[in-house]
Amino acid sequence: MKLTDQIITANHNLFRNKTRTFLTILAVFIGSFTIILSNAVNVGVNDFIDKQVESIGGDDFVMVFPAAMSDQITAITTSGSKITEYNPTTGSALTASITDEDLTKLQNVDGVKLLEIYHILTPEWVTSSKTDKLYTISVEYFPSDNVNMDVLVGKMPDNKSDRFEILLNEDYVSALGFKDNESAVGADITIGIKQTAACYTRPNDCVAKVTATVTGVQAPSVLSMDGDLYINSALDQELYSLSIAGIPNELVSQNNFVAVGNIEPDKISQIREEFREVGYELMTIDDEIGLIRTFFDVILIVFNIFGAIALLAASIGIINTLFMSVQERTREIGLMKAMGLSNGKIFFAFSLEAILLGFWGSVIGIAMSMLVGYIGNDIAHQAFLSDFPTFQLVVFDPVRMGIITLIIMFIAFLAGTLPARRAAHQNPIDALRYE
Amino acid sequence: MDPVITAKHLSKTYGKKALAFRALKDINLTIYPGESVAIVGKSGSGKSTLMHLLALLDRPTEGQILIDGSNASQLRSRQLNRLRNRRFGFVFQQFFMNANDTVLDNVLLPLKIAGLSRFKRKAKALDALKVVDLENKAKSKANDLSGGQKQRVCIARAIVNDPEVIFADEPTGNLDSATGDKITDLLFKLNHKHGVTLIIVTHDEDLAKLCNRIIRLSDGKIISDQTVRKNLKVSASTRREKEAARVKKANRG
Ligand SMILES: Nc1ncnc2c1ncn2[C@@H]1O[C@H](COP(=O)(O)OP(=O)(O)OP(=O)(O)O)[C@@H](O)[C@H]1O
Ligand SMILES: [Mg+2]
Repeated sequence: MKLTDQIITANHNLFRNKTRTFLTILAVFIGSFTIILSNAVNVGVNDFIDKQVESIGGDDFVMVFPAAMSDQITAITTSGSKITEYNPTTGSALTASITDEDLTKLQNVDGVKLLEIYHILTPEWVTSSKTDKLYTISVEYFPSDNVNMDVLVGKMPDNKSDRFEILLNEDYVSALGFKDNESAVGADITIGIKQTAACYTRPNDCVAKVTATVTGVQAPSVLSMDGDLYINSALDQELYSLSIAGIPNELVSQNNFVAVGNIEPDKISQIREEFREVGYELMTIDDEIGLIRTFFDVILIVFNIFGAIALLAASIGIINTLFMSVQERTREIGLMKAMGLSNGKIFFAFSLEAILLGFWGSVIGIAMSMLVGYIGNDIAHQAFLSDFPTFQLVVFDPVRMGIITLIIMFIAFLAGTLPARRAAHQNPIDALRYE
Repeated sequence: MDPVITAKHLSKTYGKKALAFRALKDINLTIYPGESVAIVGKSGSGKSTLMHLLALLDRPTEGQILIDGSNASQLRSRQLNRLRNRRFGFVFQQFFMNANDTVLDNVLLPLKIAGLSRFKRKAKALDALKVVDLENKAKSKANDLSGGQKQRVCIARAIVNDPEVIFADEPTGNLDSATGDKITDLLFKLNHKHGVTLIIVTHDEDLAKLCNRIIRLSDGKIISDQTVRKNLKVSASTRREKEAARVKKANRG
């Protein structure tokens, strides 16, 4: 018997008892749907993170902090600040600071290009000559050579430049009175920063003004945290020195919790080791993203377990269906054997039916999860994902779906081996005599 | 001429120990190509059992069967399947059809198993249906046919692969005499025209008399084995006798 004939015959036999077959396929479908949809969401999320990371670059960027603080830092970067019990010996949560001596040591580790204390900058406002209004602002400086935000027009602020440079995002362009993105590039804006020390003596006149040049405009991105605007090294230094002017040095250095810098990316593991010896941890952008990924991976595993349990139940359904089918077709089996169909082919015929049950279950699972996934994606984009037009909530990776389908077909095959063996080992005469 | 099937000291025991039942006891026979053999005997005498053994559908408890002079028990299952598929044709006591398939699908089953292409098997199956005068029913569901038509479909299925040997278990058993005669005619035409060996199990003496050899079974033993005519190509005389038998039957009925 030819393979094509076997497949056609198996499929035909399968649909002889439509209700029973349909119910068995439904059971497989429940499992495959769960697995395929959760995988599609996982691929979607990971794809999006990848795109964001890729677009940002910054694989040379590191954040360095005392090892004693690694828990707090992880907590802050992943889920905001976390409440912890007060401990009189350590004081408030963020205590350990980076000493100048350590900084020099770390700076001298092979592969480290630049390392400097991270300045927590809280400018008061931003404005431009085109508007009377003042707007709130938060800024961020990235000591990295290859950070590449989603720049729509212009370019990134240049860390090597002595000019004060800033990258706006689209929201600020219109707020600051620019006609469009193009006209903002090259224009000047003014940032106000509070001089803490001066405020004690002149509370109403303690905001210093700095004029910076807009180098470009970026699109909103999930990783540009809370709409931070990117500034270059020169502007960072200027804003920082203005903000601490008049404060004694000892007080300032107590705030040195975190250093940022750039390194040679391929030496990252050695650098990490050497930093640990000195008592410091470092975190790359990938590490930070990794935590988000882990979260989604755990969700995927949970859903895959649900799916696997559903498939296990479906397998029992397949075994049951095929046993009934073998029973009903005892005579037919005997007849075909009498006419020279080999045991192997009989086994294969029933295995094929099992495999086809798995196949149809998966195919319907794929079709339904695509339908549900794309509809869900549209709904999400109209609601909470409206800011991220490029984020596909579900991505159906053909290779992954193919592999899932094959696995399900294999599980179905395994389930089918029991009834198929029974069919194959029937004696033709006993089978023919069966009433 | 070399024999097609030889049975040596065949025994078949069903069941074990206390339940053991010897359905066949020390059967010896030799069947030559072109013979038409009737196996007759009372119900339960072991006719079907013997036929199944000769057709290699079941294994004897003791003794051996030679096909073309070589021991069948030494055949690999592949060769055995091939032998049954290519050289044997079966008509079973009950019809044994796939009731929900079409007549055509039922008839072409052996060819499908043999791996013939769609086109070829359809053509051959239609030819076989023409022989049994049922080509107009090819597309009907097997279940919708009358008893006689069903039996003819089974004959078509048995001859579709141009077998050398046809095993028929009560081919006319469930039929009225007219339909029975039609089927008998068909089988003997194959025997006479194409030299197909017939092994027919029957309790119908009239049918048995049409065969050139009659083997009588009783309680699993051969009680007589008569070759009526040595000459295998006797179509004219057979036909005359057949007519006589038919007249006799008609008179009786
Ligand atoms: N699978 C089996 N298990 C036990 N006994 C069996 C089995 N098959 C047949 N027999 C017994 O073997 C004997 C011969 O059976 P067989 O079917 O060969 O008879 P038969 O001559 O064909 O009868 P009939 O004319 O009624 O068809 C019977 O007594 C039957 O009960
Ligand atoms: Mg019988």
